[in-house]
Amino acid sequence: MLPASLDEAVDALATAPAAVPVAGATDLMEAVNAGRLRPAALVGLGRITELRGWRYEDGGTAVLGAGLTHARMDRPDFAALIPALADAARTAGPPQVRNVGTLGGNIVTAAPAGDTLPVLTALEATVTLARAGASREVPVSHLLTGLDPVRPGELLTWVRVPLLHAPQVFLKATGRSGPARATASVALVLDPARRSVRCAVGAVAPVPLRPLEAEAWVAGCIDWDGSREIDPTATAAFGEYVAAACVPDNYGAEGAWEAVTEGPTAAAARLRRTVAVLARRALGRALK
Amino acid sequence: MTTDPIETLDADPLGLSPQVSRELRPCASYTLRVNGFERPVTDAWIGESLLYVLRERLGLAGAKDGCEQGECGACSVQVDGQLVAGCLVPAALAADSEINTVEGLSAAGGASDVQQALAASGAVQCGYCTPGMAMAVHDLLQRNHRPTEVEARQALCGNLCRCTGYKGVLAAVQTVADARALVAEEAEEAAAAEAARSAEQAAGAPGDTPAEPVAEAPAEVPGGVPVEPGTAVEPPVYADAEAWIEHVPQQPVAPHPADQAQAPAGTPYGDAPGGYDTGVYDTAVLAPVQGGIPAQAVDDQVYYPPQAYPEQPYQGTPAHGTYLPYPDGQQQGGYDTGYDAPVYEPTPAHGTPLPGAAFDGTPPHGTPYAAPHGAPAEGGAPAGVPYGATPAHGIRLPEDDHAS
Repeated sequence: MLPASLDEAVDALATAPAAVPVAGATDLMEAVNAGRLRPAALVGLGRITELRGWRYEDGGTAVLGAGLTHARMDRPDFAALIPALADAARTAGPPQVRNVGTLGGNIVTAAPAGDTLPVLTALEATVTLARAGASREVPVSHLLTGLDPVRPGELLTWVRVPLLHAPQVFLKATGRSGPARATASVALVLDPARRSVRCAVGAVAPVPLRPLEAEAWVAGCIDWDGSREIDPTATAAFGEYVAAACVPDNYGAEGAWEAVTEGPTAAAARLRRTVAVLARRALGRALK
Repeated sequence: MTTDPIETLDADPLGLSPQVSRELRPCASYTLRVNGFERPVTDAWIGESLLYVLRERLGLAGAKDGCEQGECGACSVQVDGQLVAGCLVPAALAADSEINTVEGLSAAGGASDVQQALAASGAVQCGYCTPGMAMAVHDLLQRNHRPTEVEARQALCGNLCRCTGYKGVLAAVQTVADARALVAEEAEEAAAAEAARSAEQAAGAPGDTPAEPVAEAPAEVPGGVPVEPGTAVEPPVYADAEAWIEHVPQQPVAPHPADQAQAPAGTPYGDAPGGYDTGVYDTAVLAPVQGGIPAQAVDDQVYYPPQAYPEQPYQGTPAHGTYLPYPDGQQQGGYDTGYDAPVYEPTPAHGTPLPGAAFDGTPPHGTPYAAPHGAPAEGGAPAGVPYGATPAHGIRLPEDDHAS
């Protein structure tokens, strides 16, 4: 029930596929308390110390353990590595939740408002899923969209994140000033080696969204060799582009798609404005 | 085919046969280490939260059940030295962990300095969030001895309080931080003096008189609060928050210890020896911490001007209906005196015009509104608006001026 190593945990899951692996339990216990989930068995991952840190691989990649807590990701040494992920972890919730909530749990839960998910999507991270005697690599976007879901008996162990050594920004809009669920969040990372801007919008859809056309367009507007400057009007246009790409016209509308005949709904207009401001600010801060 | 519904119900009143129940409700037995004590838990459902087990199975009701979602922080406890929401921890997975609850803060029966500071700074109203707040403040001050206000706010952002707000809690954080810094400083000085003395003794000088004992380090109550050696440790603030003290009008120099002793809470009103009871509810003696209160506030107490009070002893509230003559002889009313009060007039019937005001009753609907009761015409409703009717849109109403 409380395995001390990764192999023991994987073996425990192999013998009892119905058991629920539990890391921080912040999402799991919320469901259990509300009566939405009745776990058949629990496999606690809190004792697996090897998953609570990170290591470096062939220069350009950080391999993050799934058991990294949000509080740990908030610390300055980690923030120097992946600043956007540190920002997301810092705003993820109150200290009581960040002390136990983990990166792997955030991915597996795949809550629409999960704060680390747009960052991982923008970073194009891949995750390692381990089962007894084998493991496989899956892009985090495939995992989140259900293209390649976690199979029974598998355990998310590592998250492979490229180290880009460039500005990264995570911005989040919430309903109040304290820790709260995001109404919209934007993660934006620069990749100078590939001369690309990668952006992901969270909390507006069940999974983080990538505005690929807007990314490609704005990457062409940036003077990559020089001071990486951009026209402010282009920044504003990027915000509008991202918002239009990520928020559909019928957002928040009840009924069928055909029910919306003219223009975006009020909810869509409001959310587009939020996303546009977040994306514009994120790009501005990344290129500052 | 028909089945007897009553028989079906009786066969399995809970809808679960024992085998099914065991499958649907897997249980576990484990041992929790709470506040340094091993507490066995037997046959508990694995989905039970640590909060539930602490409250319902172990009887530690300090942590409160607020939202069960980790939003409110009322259930904050420490697991392995980290502040967590007790409702979001599966108790079965907290076995072998070191769990500290708010009951552990007050180890020897007295409130800890954090709890006393919270009470003294007015951070407690309904008290539901207070155990969580106390744990959050305790955890913050464990990790950060001198938190700034921003750090304190960030540390407390997971604890919701809907009564008093957070200013009192923030004040308590600073209070405890200051008091602990003072204690640490004193201990440092005492250690330095001790080291100097031992060095001096080691240097020789056998003929010297033995060095005077260094000012002994203040005795400590569990919360790490200095207490003067002579005074007894005061009871916890939560036990009895009533503290009536007498203020004896005398010179503030060298107050006799008996004068400073506070009357027990059960002393009859006005029967206290050695002076009259001012009835002043003095928070300065409430908290033995003196954390929030500067130290000199206790030493030179505020002496109230004696002429402000009558010289005769206070005799307590008379029984209801008792007629008491006023001490200065003035007659303010009574049944048997020549009291020429204004003649009592009954309330006039509804609709009776009052003699002073020219109130004509509510006009019928549709009557133009004509600045009644002497209100200035320019401050009233716009002319032409029927009384009682909603004015047309766009007309600026007098309350609009107040709103903007």
